[in-house]
Amino acid sequence: MSGPASIGVDAGSTTFKAVLVDREGRILASFLEPADPRLEEQAARALDALQAPPGTPVGATGYGRRRIHAARTLTEITCHARGAFSRTGEPGILVDVGGQDTKVVRVGPGGAVLDFSMNDKCAAGTGRFLEVILARLRIPKEEIARYAARSTRPVPVTSTCTVFAESEVVSLVARGEAVEDIVKGLHAALASRVASLVGQVPPGSRVFMSGGVALNPAMVEALSKELSVPVSVVPDPQLVGALGAALSALS
Amino acid sequence: MRSVVIARQKKLGRKTVIVLPVLYPRELLTAMGVHAVELWGPPGPPRSPAAGRLQGYVCAVARNALAFLASGGGRDADAAIFPHTCDSIQGLATLAPDFGGWEKPAYRYLHPKGEDRPAARKFVRSELERLAGELARLTGRPLELPRLSEAISLHAEIDRLRRELLSRRPFLPLSDAALYRLLRRGEYLWPGDHLEELACAARGIRDDRVRHGVPLMVSGYVPEPMSVFDCLEAAGAFVAADDYAAVGRRIALSPPPAEGDPLDRLSGMHFRMPPCPTRTSDTGARMEYLLSLFRRSGAAGVVLHVPKFCEPENFDVPAVFRTFADAGAPVLVLESELEAELSAQSATRLEAFVESLKFKGPSR
Amino acid sequence: MILRKLQYKAISCLGPGLLSVASRIGKRPGRGSAQGAAHPFGPPLESGRKLREIMSLHYLSGRYADGAVPVAWVTSGFPVEPLRALGFHAVYPENHAAVCSVKRLVPELSAAVERLGYSRELCGYARADLGCAVTGTTPVGRLPRPDLLCCCTNICQTVLYWFRALADRFRVPLAVVDAPFVYGEAKAGHLEYFADQLRGLAETAGGIAGRATDRGALLETVRLSREGSLLWAECLAAGRAVPSPWTGFDAFFHMAPIVALRGTKECNGYYRMLRDELNDRISRGVGGIGNERFRLLWDNLPVWHRLRPLSAVLAENGFNIVCSTYAAAWAEAGAAIDPADPEGSMARAYLNVLLNRDLPYRLSFMKRLCAESGSTGAILHSDRSCKPYSIGQVDLQRRLVSEAGVRTLLLEADHADPRSWSEEQAGHRLAAFMESFE
Repeated sequence: MSGPASIGVDAGSTTFKAVLVDREGRILASFLEPADPRLEEQAARALDALQAPPGTPVGATGYGRRRIHAARTLTEITCHARGAFSRTGEPGILVDVGGQDTKVVRVGPGGAVLDFSMNDKCAAGTGRFLEVILARLRIPKEEIARYAARSTRPVPVTSTCTVFAESEVVSLVARGEAVEDIVKGLHAALASRVASLVGQVPPGSRVFMSGGVALNPAMVEALSKELSVPVSVVPDPQLVGALGAALSALS
Repeated sequence: MRSVVIARQKKLGRKTVIVLPVLYPRELLTAMGVHAVELWGPPGPPRSPAAGRLQGYVCAVARNALAFLASGGGRDADAAIFPHTCDSIQGLATLAPDFGGWEKPAYRYLHPKGEDRPAARKFVRSELERLAGELARLTGRPLELPRLSEAISLHAEIDRLRRELLSRRPFLPLSDAALYRLLRRGEYLWPGDHLEELACAARGIRDDRVRHGVPLMVSGYVPEPMSVFDCLEAAGAFVAADDYAAVGRRIALSPPPAEGDPLDRLSGMHFRMPPCPTRTSDTGARMEYLLSLFRRSGAAGVVLHVPKFCEPENFDVPAVFRTFADAGAPVLVLESELEAELSAQSATRLEAFVESLKFKGPSR
Repeated sequence: MILRKLQYKAISCLGPGLLSVASRIGKRPGRGSAQGAAHPFGPPLESGRKLREIMSLHYLSGRYADGAVPVAWVTSGFPVEPLRALGFHAVYPENHAAVCSVKRLVPELSAAVERLGYSRELCGYARADLGCAVTGTTPVGRLPRPDLLCCCTNICQTVLYWFRALADRFRVPLAVVDAPFVYGEAKAGHLEYFADQLRGLAETAGGIAGRATDRGALLETVRLSREGSLLWAECLAAGRAVPSPWTGFDAFFHMAPIVALRGTKECNGYYRMLRDELNDRISRGVGGIGNERFRLLWDNLPVWHRLRPLSAVLAENGFNIVCSTYAAAWAEAGAAIDPADPEGSMARAYLNVLLNRDLPYRLSFMKRLCAESGSTGAILHSDRSCKPYSIGQVDLQRRLVSEAGVRTLLLEADHADPRSWSEEQAGHRLAAFMESFE
């Protein structure tokens, strides 16, 4: 009785995500690939992979949403709020650190968007910041948290501009600072930038994190520290937007 | 388009002046037969080597204007007026005429900052007289007071129509994009011609409600890129109230007195303008004004469309946040760099904002 | 109230003694205390201790000012004389923000106001100062609450927006003295407008102070103000000697009294002492840096948060900043003040400050400073968050090269916020610039 009911597609700037859900919004199957410029082909591939019955309604979100043949298109902000609410069941502040955008959404009862803010046009407060610099330090993604955990004395990284921070990191390495301490410092720098987007957290508010960067426990910890409140990760953080899109196609 | 208009005005024997933002005595120019063409950038990346003469962190309005002037963009004009709007335009007013980029006459229109007070009124009047003297040298004809009276009436009528079009927006069968194109034609049409177009549009106002969707209030500097309005319309919203410096903030709050010395009446106009962060010293008064505009219009949310690096606009953003948060109204800040087209990121912001208002239900 | 007045008086009068005792006990080492081969500076200025003393006292007495005397927060270019004559304690948020920047507090303070919606692109001083108002954080213990905010637009329009925000926060009146920008020469109507506003200011401020202006006190303040500017000019002129007895970076610190204590006896007493010390150094051939090989002009505000490393790298290579438009701006206009015509001369002096004048004037001023000081190069600090000072610098740079043969470097930074500073980038540019002199 809870068979496939709708599909959600999140055609983001760095990754393409799709989910198949049942009436209750439970994820039955999912699909995740780096974003492909041939979006239509990627969408077809995703539908195949999800093995959805023909005629299943599709909801789409993300930068490429208009190129997806969908019954409903909505922005990532609305979809993340709905997706997150369906997994957590709680209003609160949702922080989505994506590859190109960082969004802070105040989610109200029922998953409504009360208000939101986004980073300005540079990569300073986004996942790209860490990606670029950690690649420079030749640290594989899966090692990041371990590096940060080993730090005993984080080195402050003052530049929040990605380009400036990259050269700052190079000079920190040249100065002989431990890579672990630099990694930890980078997390703190990004967390501080994201925190300025979050603003004051009202007492008693829950803070949730979604998006690919939420899979990095060091980042979750850094943000918790910066905001002085515990930050919880929405289950399957990368799929939250796609889930919200699927839920929108249901209604 | 502007060059066609300029050519026509030249044929009629009128001198053309380029005018930089924001506030200047339109009435005085009209009375002296001077055709004003405003320069708000223009939008898009600056296309001239002169663009590098201003650092990347200087507002795009000033940077683009320098590039435009230095590349001969104002070759049809006879002079330029630089109002004393902000540090950037004030700097441009010495950079272009003194160090190259604008070789024709440059007039600076300095207007007072701070509250209305006798010294400020006296100062406006003396600046008007000074500008009239400079324009008289340009045209070869002195200012005639009866003509100034006529021009004051003409512009009062223009303001009345602009106010009507904006305040009765829901009853006007025009898209936002079309309405703004019409209003912004006032930036370069001869005022008499602009008046006719406005009157024609105002006749289209119908008493049965024609506009549906989420009503919004917009505030900011200049509505560029104009595709903002297409984006809002596609998302299911429309502009119900306007506080752009280039548009609503230049419509006097009340008409000038019918009697009295025309120069005094014109000086008084400066103090009848809606509060603008480039001039006023009282945040409370501006917030009160914005709130009442918002409430009268029935808008459900506010879009603050502010240029990056614009200090006067950006300094007021926190007060706007606070004021409208207290009133329970959502605010979206849309940062602009005077792009020619709306970026995908900006479009997402606008759409998400409209979505959040739609799903919240009717506004208070 | 009476207790408060007594405290304020006591600190103001006894403070110097207390502080000098404290500073002797605390023995703060000066810059030159660790002399060595790697140390590129000359011996430190003795006056430095006195400077710390009077500035500490200024902030210390401020803690007890509200409730004791009327308090005004004032922009650096504001005609402060009428306020001093009415017994106001004047606080200078710009000076305070510079202290915050030297103490590297700006990122934290700015973050607090960015959360409220202030853009990171706004003036770093304004962000720092509003951040202090919001968080209560300050390196000076406590700032007295203002009874009046005073802003003069002769240094920028930014102060109008900044002080408007302060007025909104503190719910106190804002007195604006609007200074029309001077293209060419100041126009008679503009001088009159400024003088009119000074008369209005005396009324507003008098209402808050609860008394009318004592003409004698005003004349005395005006006299002190003029004398202070002239003394500061003498100190700066001492920098022309070869080798220069001090550095332009020293001058940035030593200008605090002419900004924040202008029109007081303490200010002038201090500059007499400094002038004498500088002249003594000249007679003994003591330089601000150990081995002065090249002399430079600095344009725009200092990069407060990088002052020490910047001055060190320049000094190590034999470069001395011997003059700056910023420090000289405080010596130029003040000399025009004349006790014979307080309002009229103040209008002239305060309208004609450097930042209120057009680019041809600024260019001629820079050329004059280079010529007088024998500077063959100039560093123009392109200051991200100070637009009015930075607009036109690209042209000024080119013209200094082509018209005066001065080598130039446009160095992008921010006067208060270290977050937009790139050590690598700046280091490279500075190195290339210095190499061009060899």
